[in-house]
Amino acid sequence: MRIPRMRFPTFGPTLYGLALLMVVLGIATPFLPIVAKVQLINFLLFVGLAYALNFITGLTGYVSFGHAIFMGIGAYALGGGIDRLGFPPLLGVFLGAGLGAAFAVGIGLVTLRFRGVYFAITTLVLFLAAKNIVPEISQLGEGGGIFMNLGFQPLAQFYTIWAIVVIEIGLTYWVTHGRLGYGLRAIKSDEDVAKTVGVNASRLKLSLFGISGMFTGATGAVYAWTLSAVLPETGFDITFSLRMLAMIIIGGAGTLLGPFLGAIIVYVPYNYFQTVQSLLGLQLAVIGALVLLIALFIPTGIVGTVRRYVPFLRRYIE
Amino acid sequence: MADLGLVAADLVVGLMLGCVFAVIAHGLNVIWGVTKVVNVAHGEFIMLGAYGAYYLNLYLGFNPLLSVPVDAAIGIGVGFLFYFGLLHRELRGKETITRESEMVTLVATFGLSLILSNVALAIFKGDAVGIRWAPETLALGPVGVPLGGLYVAISSVAIIAISDLFLSRTYLGNAIRAYSQDIGAAQLMGINPTRIAAIATAIGFGLTMAGGALLTVWLPVGITPLIGSTYAPISFVIVVLGGPGKMWGSLLGGLTLGILIDVLPAFGISTSIAVAVAFLILIPVLLFAREGILR
Repeated sequence: MRIPRMRFPTFGPTLYGLALLMVVLGIATPFLPIVAKVQLINFLLFVGLAYALNFITGLTGYVSFGHAIFMGIGAYALGGGIDRLGFPPLLGVFLGAGLGAAFAVGIGLVTLRFRGVYFAITTLVLFLAAKNIVPEISQLGEGGGIFMNLGFQPLAQFYTIWAIVVIEIGLTYWVTHGRLGYGLRAIKSDEDVAKTVGVNASRLKLSLFGISGMFTGATGAVYAWTLSAVLPETGFDITFSLRMLAMIIIGGAGTLLGPFLGAIIVYVPYNYFQTVQSLLGLQLAVIGALVLLIALFIPTGIVGTVRRYVPFLRRYIE
Repeated sequence: MADLGLVAADLVVGLMLGCVFAVIAHGLNVIWGVTKVVNVAHGEFIMLGAYGAYYLNLYLGFNPLLSVPVDAAIGIGVGFLFYFGLLHRELRGKETITRESEMVTLVATFGLSLILSNVALAIFKGDAVGIRWAPETLALGPVGVPLGGLYVAISSVAIIAISDLFLSRTYLGNAIRAYSQDIGAAQLMGINPTRIAAIATAIGFGLTMAGGALLTVWLPVGITPLIGSTYAPISFVIVVLGGPGKMWGSLLGGLTLGILIDVLPAFGISTSIAVAVAFLILIPVLLFAREGILR
């Protein structure tokens, strides 16, 4: 029996809202002062990462601590592409996306067999191994990294990351509202039962992990582009893994609006605390406190909780 | 071919390093094995144990071995707080601990680890500190054995042996093992699950902080608020290698890691590759021996 197509007569208000916001950002940004442009680029980097992790951790429930590995792969793809192959930056971002997807599929083939905490630990361990191996490779500049003399290109960077986020939002909508969404929800609640009713769990998980790796790689490449350099420390930065996870847990894992909300909540203190001397370095502690409280009291995150307790908003946010 | 004397010396250091790895992972092993909770903030409690030993040395002149019982006592208190503050909500009244609960506690302790490491960074600052305690070196032919490391290794093995005896020979230990196997059946035998889970968590934390104190011997100038992020993954790997809940598994996993990290460089492999290899051992073990190497 074929599973019937899930019917949604219209696009939901959340999608309209996000689309409107992205269009406004896309039109207004060229006219904004340079400081605001840089802020927006950094913010959209966070949004891009949040949606990327949402594909695997949010939709299937597989918690990954090691997603920064794909950021590093994307960053080194951009650095290598520009420095060794003479690519323009945009092509480097595509290379980052491709390599991110390829590595994700390779890693996923092995690690997605492990469930729960074992998957989480394996991803963490793979990240640490990569972080130890990459500085040893002489083609990648060893520990010294790769410096690209790209100059300051805020608009090109902005529109690249803007496009990545737009595609991610569209794809998240498509995945959650299409036939795939049924299978994913089944995997998230009970993988073994999902398999017995004919969900091809391994293929579904692997494709989502690949998509997730692709977008993380692309975002990592844009991040390296904004820094104009690739270093082992900035490429393979565990705090990005942690922030990504925090964003989707806070916002609401597996939802359409959640990663965006989470990105705002994580980005604002990240940005604000750096300007206040006494709060410097405490941003992650505040984010950690939020994660702790949300995990214990409202494990479905902001979006999930609002949907549960405020019925009339259910139509508008998802 | 590598120089045999060098390999022997590295093997000795690797064995001792393995013992200290084993003891820092042991607390995680107990908590994971009994309550099925993976404490992501494990590394931060190792770090707090190390700072405990540092301050005991600074103000009272304790050497690291002497601060082990003090740290363990603090850790037991912290463990009760941790259980009733964090885990009790999730584990209370459950007869089986589902994957969902596992993930909730995983994420919650992940939040806790962010809080602890960053608050510690704000309080202790980023400067590395250390304890000046270096007993002399014992010469065994061409191999020099640092006595500090040897004392730590002996203490580690003793701690693991005692915990194994405790679990297999005492009433409380048997109750803890019964709880870890089947909560419902343990309750039918008159075991109070909350009490047992709290005690096991407290013991685990005591072991963790004691491990942090022992670790300071290996970090003469290297105690920083960030050591947690180094030693937590090592502990995870060790516990998975040995199998959660198997006491001697900690020692086996610890020795595997210690020897790999210390002996591979003698064969011309750089240290960071050796560390990567030691971490990646996890994957074949998970693929082919899901319950750990020990049967």
